[in-house]
Amino acid sequence: MAVEYKKNLVVFHDVVGVEDAEALLEWLQKKRTAKVDLSACTHLHPANLQVLMASKPAVQAWPADAPLRAWLEPILTAP
Amino acid sequence: MSPLLEQFLSEARDFLQGIGEKLMQLEAAPADADLMNELFRLVHTLKGNSGLFDAPEMTRVLHAGEDLMDAVRNGRVAYSRPLADRLLDAMDFVGMLCDELESDGQLGAAHAGDSVRLVDALRHLLQPDDAPAEAPAPESTPESAPAPTASLAEPTPVADTASLPLASIPEAVRMQAYRRACAGEPLSWLAYRPHEQCFYQGDDPFFLARQTPELLWSRIEAREPWPPLAELDAYSCMLDFQLLTAAPRAALEEQYRYVMDQVQTTEVPRLALVMPQGDPNGGPVYDDFAADARRLLQTGDLEGLARNASTLLELSSPDLWIASALRWLQLVLETEPENKAILDALVDCLGSLAAPQWGTAGAAETHTASASTSIRQDPAPRNERGQEAEGVADASDEATPALSPLAADALAAVVAAQGEVLALTDEPRWLPGRLKAAAAALSGCLRATGATAKLQDLEAATAAALARNSGAPLLTWIAAVFPAELVGEPGAAAPVTAAPPSPAHSAPQPPEAEGEIKFGRRAEDAISGPKSLKVDQAKIDRLMNLIGEMVVAKNALPYLAGRAEAVFGVRELAREIKGHYGVINRIAEEMQGAIMQIRMMPVSFVFQRFPRLVRDISRKLGKEVELILEGEDTEADKTIIESLGDPLMHIVRNSLDHGIESPELRRAAGKPATGTLRLRAMQESDRVVIEISDDGKGIDPDIIKRKAYAKGLIDETLLEQISDQEAVNLVFAAGFSTTEVISDLSGRGVGMDVVRTAVEKVNGSVALTSQQGRGTQIRLSLPLSMAVTNVMIVVSDGQRFGVPMDRVVETVRVPRAAIRTIKHSLATVLRGRIVPLKSINDLLGLSAPPKANADDELAVLVVRLGDESLGLLVDDFSETLDIILKPMTGVLAGLPAYAGSALMGDGSVLMVLNVKEIL
Repeated sequence: MAVEYKKNLVVFHDVVGVEDAEALLEWLQKKRTAKVDLSACTHLHPANLQVLMASKPAVQAWPADAPLRAWLEPILTAP
Repeated sequence: MSPLLEQFLSEARDFLQGIGEKLMQLEAAPADADLMNELFRLVHTLKGNSGLFDAPEMTRVLHAGEDLMDAVRNGRVAYSRPLADRLLDAMDFVGMLCDELESDGQLGAAHAGDSVRLVDALRHLLQPDDAPAEAPAPESTPESAPAPTASLAEPTPVADTASLPLASIPEAVRMQAYRRACAGEPLSWLAYRPHEQCFYQGDDPFFLARQTPELLWSRIEAREPWPPLAELDAYSCMLDFQLLTAAPRAALEEQYRYVMDQVQTTEVPRLALVMPQGDPNGGPVYDDFAADARRLLQTGDLEGLARNASTLLELSSPDLWIASALRWLQLVLETEPENKAILDALVDCLGSLAAPQWGTAGAAETHTASASTSIRQDPAPRNERGQEAEGVADASDEATPALSPLAADALAAVVAAQGEVLALTDEPRWLPGRLKAAAAALSGCLRATGATAKLQDLEAATAAALARNSGAPLLTWIAAVFPAELVGEPGAAAPVTAAPPSPAHSAPQPPEAEGEIKFGRRAEDAISGPKSLKVDQAKIDRLMNLIGEMVVAKNALPYLAGRAEAVFGVRELAREIKGHYGVINRIAEEMQGAIMQIRMMPVSFVFQRFPRLVRDISRKLGKEVELILEGEDTEADKTIIESLGDPLMHIVRNSLDHGIESPELRRAAGKPATGTLRLRAMQESDRVVIEISDDGKGIDPDIIKRKAYAKGLIDETLLEQISDQEAVNLVFAAGFSTTEVISDLSGRGVGMDVVRTAVEKVNGSVALTSQQGRGTQIRLSLPLSMAVTNVMIVVSDGQRFGVPMDRVVETVRVPRAAIRTIKHSLATVLRGRIVPLKSINDLLGLSAPPKANADDELAVLVVRLGDESLGLLVDDFSETLDIILKPMTGVLAGLPAYAGSALMGDGSVLMVLNVKEIL
């Protein structure tokens, strides 16, 4: 599973594909206070990225992959 | 090159040819809906086919063409000559891509730009209010640089780089980029706006953007504020990607070749990055520093300047605007201390606390500063133009303070555009207005360059132009004031708007600009000949007939030689004729072989439809079947191959329906769940053999026997005697079916009967072997070619008849004593087997009795009839001969006793018997 849903935390692993976006969106709709762990993520499909950008969950851990982190940090940091 | 690609290319050429022709015909008859539909179909098919290959450029152009044709077809856009021109251009481009595909096997990325330009040109025609392509709207002020990319962003008259949000790039990144630009690397700003539906096409724009080479900085932006989560559509792409890269243009085109139409690239001059930022809190100390710095700069004491700058930088808070400016000053001092202009400007801005104005300072920076151009354009000519423009500015007014390169560039473009407008020869009602507009633009140019003295001349020229209602006086004026070469090449200097993707903003394209998009495939160019020809089958058939006649004529030579010797007694001549006959014979046979080769086709032609068929049928039946095709390149005559289609289809369906069991049954029987169906083609001497074998349940001879008996196909005695092997072959009998229920697949009782009839029609045979529980094998044996038939000639009652060799088993002479009469029919025993005998004279209704030879032996031609042998009593045997069999035509076609006729070498006609029919 590229996306692991825990109690109030969603953990991304490796490459998160386009097919995970719908489930992610549903899950985040239910858990408005959820957090995201991206540390093990190496790439995520922009559909997932959109969901994250729109739902603005708190990012608990940024990706270990530095370039990916550089892409994500500006857009996922809570205002 | 794969056969598929080969076929595509050959077809594509035909299509392109067809499209060209249709376009030409449409010019004569624009209202012809049929032609238009045909044209649309051609473009549509070609587009669909091109999608199979890695040729996004081709597909993109064809897609645009298709859309356009669709619009024309539905009457939304009128057919016009420019439309045809653009389509032809696009087709030339596609043809060029085909050539490249053929020679290299793939497409380079270099065409992406061209393809986008063509697509834009085609899409532009889709605008409903397609105004006639006027010259570009005259820019009213000389400052309005022809900014190709600015048209998309905002129409404010600023240099295009200024419209880019470069300020949002962190200073450190900009400085790094600046260093790389100083090292000669090109900087590009790339805005990638994926289609909203792109996720459905399997695109991952984020991944694409991440893979951008030489990425310096990047960011993602949402196109609009995000809706509440409940309304969010995760699969509609709302993201924009913006990045700064130091990759060369070609690398970017390669990276984004599939989405070229969604990408906008702008070259970023390095000076545009020099943008001090921060708290503008200044102080008197900075004024002092600025004065000092200017002095140091003038004396050329760069070291002193650097020292001063670093001291001040240490003293200042790093967040201050001034500190940022100082850091840039340091960077410039470090990277290019010889560039006085930049240093001047930076020091100036230290004093004024205003952003440096590179437009006025970068005199030495002609190239970088003016090369702000779209990626879709070759920057080279533009640079030259920049220099030219400088020359223009100088020539126009020496006293003028040197124009900034950007402004000079703009000026050149504006003047050229006016020249172009004025050069138009049409005379619309609004001509005076056009002249006035041009004059206004030109006077603006003069004011901007400070050459106000020439305004009077301009006014006079304008008045003259208005009086004559022609642009000529103004043109003369332009030629006098601005150097000739500039105005002499309109189009080049005109703002070549690389029509932006958003068509609403697109400025009409000057027709000259299109003229540059040529792809070297005009009509007058030498056409590289295709390697394969498509020839009408009738022409081949004619060749075949001619060679047949040739063979007959050739066969007359031995008779001639015989006559020369027998009748005229010239043995020498007879020998020479025979010698010559040998030569002609060899050539004729080779020729015949070559022509037959033309008609040869690989069996893959019929095999190729089976993978899909097997897949569909096995799905429908809930069976798992693996299809194995072997020997697909075995060749046979076209008619033979074509006649194979139906029988094979029936056999395969039968195998799937009756042969291969469902996975459960197979597992229960200890066989792998997936059944195997094997289609194998091979050549055996002069016949092509096709074997269809499955590993299904086989045929139960008992069931066949009972069914055949129930249907009255066999009688009781036969039921007892018939062997299992003979029984399974009963499935070929007409009206036989084993399934109780007629499905849509098989069971109508015609299947195998059809197979046999179809195969026998082309002189083929079919045999079936089956092992119960192990599978069934059907073997079709067909002649390689039908053109030449090998016949044995027999003589009876003084007439000669041909019997096809493939029917003949043997020729024997049987003593009259060995022939018995069993129940009115004759029979003899040959090698322990009873062979029924029939007299050919009886069969043909000739009254003469069979003739015996001197030893009282009768000539018996043993022929094969299915699985049985039968003896034909004839008078004598003659030679065997290759003949061209002509089927019976006209009233004779109703005589089933003859398969056809052939001309003999001596001019006589040989009738060829259809043995099966006469018995």
